[in-house]
Amino acid sequence: AAFGLYFPRKEYSENVYIDQPAGTPLLRIHALRDSHGEVAHFHLCQNLIISRARSHENHWFQIRDKTGLLYLSKSMDREDFNMLSVGNWMPLSKVMLYVFLSSHPFQEKECDSATRTTVFFSLINATAPVCSSLTARQLCFTEMDLSFHIKENKPPGTFHQLQLPSVHHLCQNLSISYKLLAAEGVPFRYNENTTGVSVTQRLDREERERYELIAKCTVREGFREMQVEVPFLVNVLDEDDSPPFLPNGTDTADAIVEFNRKEGTVLATLTVYDADTTPIYPLESSRKKYTGTIITDDPWISETFRVEHIFDEIHFNPNGSQVRGTRHEYKLVLNKSISVTDHRSFQLDVLVNDTEFHGPERSVMLHFNVSILPVSIQFPNMTYQFSVNRNAERFAQIGKICIENCMKFRGVNITYKLLSPNISCYPVNILQGREDKYGSLYVNDSSVLRRPECKEIQYTIQATDKQSRKHTKTLLTIVLEGTFLKKEEDCPESCAVSKHHAECEECGGLGVLTGRCQWRQGSGKGITTNYSTCTPSIKTCPDGICDVIESKDPAVCPQDCTSGNIIGGHGKGTGNLGIKSGHGICYCFPRQNCYCEKDDIKEQLCDDVCKTVI
Amino acid sequence: LAGPLSPPGQDPHGWRVPVDCVRANELCAAEPSCSSRYRTLRQCLAGRDRNTMLANKECQAALEVLQESPLYDCRCKRGMKKELQCLQIYWSIHLGLTEGEEFYEASPYEPVTSRLSDIFRLASIFSGMDPATNSKSNHCLDAAKACNLNDNCKRLRSGYISTCSKEISATEHCSRRKCHKALRQFFDRVPSEYTYRLLFCSCKDQACAERRRQTIVPSCSYEDKEKPNCLDLRNTCRTDHLCRSRLADFHTNCQASFQSLTSCPGDNYQACLGSYAGLIAGFDMTPNYVDASTTSITISPWCSCKGSGNMEEECEEFLRDFTENPCLRNAIQAFGNGTDGNLSP
Repeated sequence: AAFGLYFPRKEYSENVYIDQPAGTPLLRIHALRDSHGEVAHFHLCQNLIISRARSHENHWFQIRDKTGLLYLSKSMDREDFNMLSVGNWMPLSKVMLYVFLSSHPFQEKECDSATRTTVFFSLINATAPVCSSLTARQLCFTEMDLSFHIKENKPPGTFHQLQLPSVHHLCQNLSISYKLLAAEGVPFRYNENTTGVSVTQRLDREERERYELIAKCTVREGFREMQVEVPFLVNVLDEDDSPPFLPNGTDTADAIVEFNRKEGTVLATLTVYDADTTPIYPLESSRKKYTGTIITDDPWISETFRVEHIFDEIHFNPNGSQVRGTRHEYKLVLNKSISVTDHRSFQLDVLVNDTEFHGPERSVMLHFNVSILPVSIQFPNMTYQFSVNRNAERFAQIGKICIENCMKFRGVNITYKLLSPNISCYPVNILQGREDKYGSLYVNDSSVLRRPECKEIQYTIQATDKQSRKHTKTLLTIVLEGTFLKKEEDCPESCAVSKHHAECEECGGLGVLTGRCQWRQGSGKGITTNYSTCTPSIKTCPDGICDVIESKDPAVCPQDCTSGNIIGGHGKGTGNLGIKSGHGICYCFPRQNCYCEKDDIKEQLCDDVCKTVI
Repeated sequence: LAGPLSPPGQDPHGWRVPVDCVRANELCAAEPSCSSRYRTLRQCLAGRDRNTMLANKECQAALEVLQESPLYDCRCKRGMKKELQCLQIYWSIHLGLTEGEEFYEASPYEPVTSRLSDIFRLASIFSGMDPATNSKSNHCLDAAKACNLNDNCKRLRSGYISTCSKEISATEHCSRRKCHKALRQFFDRVPSEYTYRLLFCSCKDQACAERRRQTIVPSCSYEDKEKPNCLDLRNTCRTDHLCRSRLADFHTNCQASFQSLTSCPGDNYQACLGSYAGLIAGFDMTPNYVDASTTSITISPWCSCKGSGNMEEECEEFLRDFTENPCLRNAIQAFGNGTDGNLSP
C-alpha cells in the first residue's frame, strides 16, 4: 500500500434536525496511522447519496481537514428536508456521505481514494430536541455499537472520542463525564480532557485479537446523577506476520499405491500450521496466497500426481485468550489412474510457500515417500466348482467369480468372460454390472439343465484388466444334480406374485435355484424392512440392491427393482427402485403394481386338537 | 397482496405509486427517447462501476433522462407473473447505481401494506377458534391439519414434501434444486394464513418445535455436508437476481430498528414475516430454526463465520440479523400469540 492511513470504523452515524444552526458540530472522525510521521487529512466527497439512484450535491456538511470534525456549514430547512426525503429507500430517512482520507492535503475534489468511511445522517423531521427531553443513553452515546478495528503492528494513536460533539454543543450546562472500564494492563488509555481513547502500543493479534471494555458515562444535572454503561469493543486486524510451521516437525509421509489406483485417490496428507488467519472468503485469493507446488522435472510425476490444498480455521491459546489460526492440509492425490503394471518408488517433494510473509522462513518443504506396487491379476489357486440343481430356472444366481483381492480394487477395471466350450451343454453365463468388480454366474438356458446327457460341464473363465490388457484364466466346473420334477400347473412366472406362505412354496418362478420359490417371514411390526414376501432366493432378493441379473427381467425380483406404484404402507428404495420397507406382506405383479398389506386371512381354520375332535 | 396493475398515479400521501418494472419497460419501449436512453444506460453499466460511469457525459445524460421515466422507481411484486423478468429489469438499472457492495440493499419489491390482524381474522374464520385461547393444543399440528383441509395447500405441501424426500441415489440424498423450487411454489402460491401457521406456530413442547423445524424438510432444503462462510454465501446469493431480491427484501423489512416499539421498520410484522417466508428456498440462503428448543427461537441460514479472517466483524453482523434479530423474533412471537404489533394499519 502506498499509504496506510485507515479508519478504525466502517461507519458513523448521527442525527440531523430541522433548522439546526450553521456551525453545529456533528461528529468527530479519527484515523489511525500505518507508520510514524504520517499526517491524516480528511475530505468530503461533494455528493450526498439519498437513495440507490439519487444523489444530491452536498451544501450542508463540511469537515475540518486536520481534526476530522464534521459540522453543519448551512442550516437545513424544511424544504431541504422534503427534497432529501423523497425516494429515500431506507426505513428512516437517511442520507449517506463518504469521508476520504489521505496523507497529503487534498488538491481538488478527489472522490476515488480507496480509504473511505461512510457517514449516515438520519434526517429527523423535527427541530432539535431540548436537553431535558433526552435520556441519559441519548446524551452519552449514539445508537451504533462502540466497535472498532485496529491493525496489528501499527503505531499507537487516538481512535475515538467518547463525547458527542452535537450533544456537547447543545447541552452546555449539563456535566457529562466518561470513564473507560478495563481490566489491568490493556493497551488503551482514556484522556479525560479530550475524552479521547487511544491505543498506547503496537498490538499483536497472535497474542490477543479482541478487547472487550466498558464505556461508562455519568450525567450530572444539579443533584441528579445518571449512569449508562455500554460495551466498547476493539478487534485487532490481522496481517501476514507469521511463517508456516510444521506440527511436531512432521514433514514426511508415506504414500503407498497398491489396490486403489483410481484417479482422485488421496494417498497421504501432511499438515502445515500458520498463526495467521486465512480467509475462506474470497477463496481464490487465499488459494494464491498459500501455494503448494510439486518439485520435479519428471513429466510422468507431474502428470500422475497433484497436490490438493484445503485449509480451515483452528484456535491457538496463547496466554489464556483464544486466537484464530489456520491449519493447511496438503493432500497428495492421484491425477490419473495408474496401470496395474507400474512399479516405482521415489521421494516426491512439495514446496509450500506463504507468499505474503516477508521473512526468510516463508516456505517449508514436504516429503512424500511414494511406493507404487504392482498388483497381479490372478485367480486364487484353485478351480471353481458349482453345483446347479436341474430344476433351477432362468436367472437363478449360482455364484460369484472374483480374482484375488478383487473387492479391494479401485480404478482397476476387470471384465470376466466365459470361453465357450465346444459342447452342446451350455446352461450358464456370466454377467457383470457397470460398477461390479466381480462376475455373477447365472442360469441362462434352463432347458439345458433338463437334458440328461449334460452332467458335468467344464468351462474356462478369463479375467481381463481393461487398461493393461493383462489377463488370467481358470477352470470352472458346473455339476448338474437332482432329478427334474414336472412343474406345477397354473403357476405365475414370478415368485413375487404369491401372497401366502403355502402357495409360494408350491410354485417355481424366474430365478429359483431348486424349482421352488422361498418364503420370507417378516417380523410384522408396522412398516419394516423385514416384510413378508415370496422370492426366488432369500439370499439375493430382497436385499435392497437391484443387481445386474435381477434387472435383466422385471419378474425376477420386483421387490428390489420395481419402479412402478406400490400400494399400501411402504418406503421406496434408493433411486426410487424397489420396496425398501413395507407393511405386512408385499407382493407384485411384474410390469404392474406392487401391494403391501396386512394379511387378515387366518391360515389355520382348524388346529390339531380340532382335527381329533372331528 | 397482489392487486391489479396500476398505472403510475398518486396515492393519498402524494407519493408516486410505483409501477411494476415489466409495465414500466413496456411504457419506456413505446417512447423512442426513453428506450434509446435505457439502452445507452445498460451499455454504460456493463462492467463498470458507478464512478467511471458517471464520468462519461453520455451516461450521465441517460441517467438524468431516466430519472423522470417510470423505470426509475419501478418495483416488483412477490409471486407476480413474470417476476423473474421484472427483477431482471430492476437490477439492470440498479446494479450500476450502487456504490460497490452495500451491506444492506434496497428491496425491489413493493411495500407490504396488509397487517397480521388481517391474517388472524381469516385464520379464525376457517379454524373456528381464536389461536390465542387454546393453550393445550399443538399449534403446529393444528396448522398441518388446517393445511390438509384446504385443497390447494394440501396439494402444494405434499408436492414439496415428496419432492424433498425423494432419494436420488445412494450418494445424492435428494435434489436440492427441485426441492427449493417446490418450496418456493408453496410459499408463493398458498395464502399466508396457511403458510405462516405452519412456519411460525408457537410451541410449548419439543415434539411441536421439532415439527416446526421440520416444516421445510431441512435435511434436503437446508442442511448440507459443510457449512460455508456466511459472506461467501451472501456473495453467491447476490449473483442470482431472485435470491438477491429476496435477501434485500428481508433486510428491508426485518432490519431491527431502535426507533420503534416493536423493533420492526414501520412496526409492520406482516412485512417481516412475509420477507422471511420469501427467503425460504431463496436458494442457499434458506433460513430455518436451528434446533427444537421451545424456550428460545434461534434462526439462521446454513452458514458460519468460521474463516472470515479480517471480515469477521462484518460476517457476524450479517449473521446476527438472523440469529439475534429482535424484529424477527418479536414478529414470530406475535404471530404465535395471535397479537399484532401495530393496532392501527
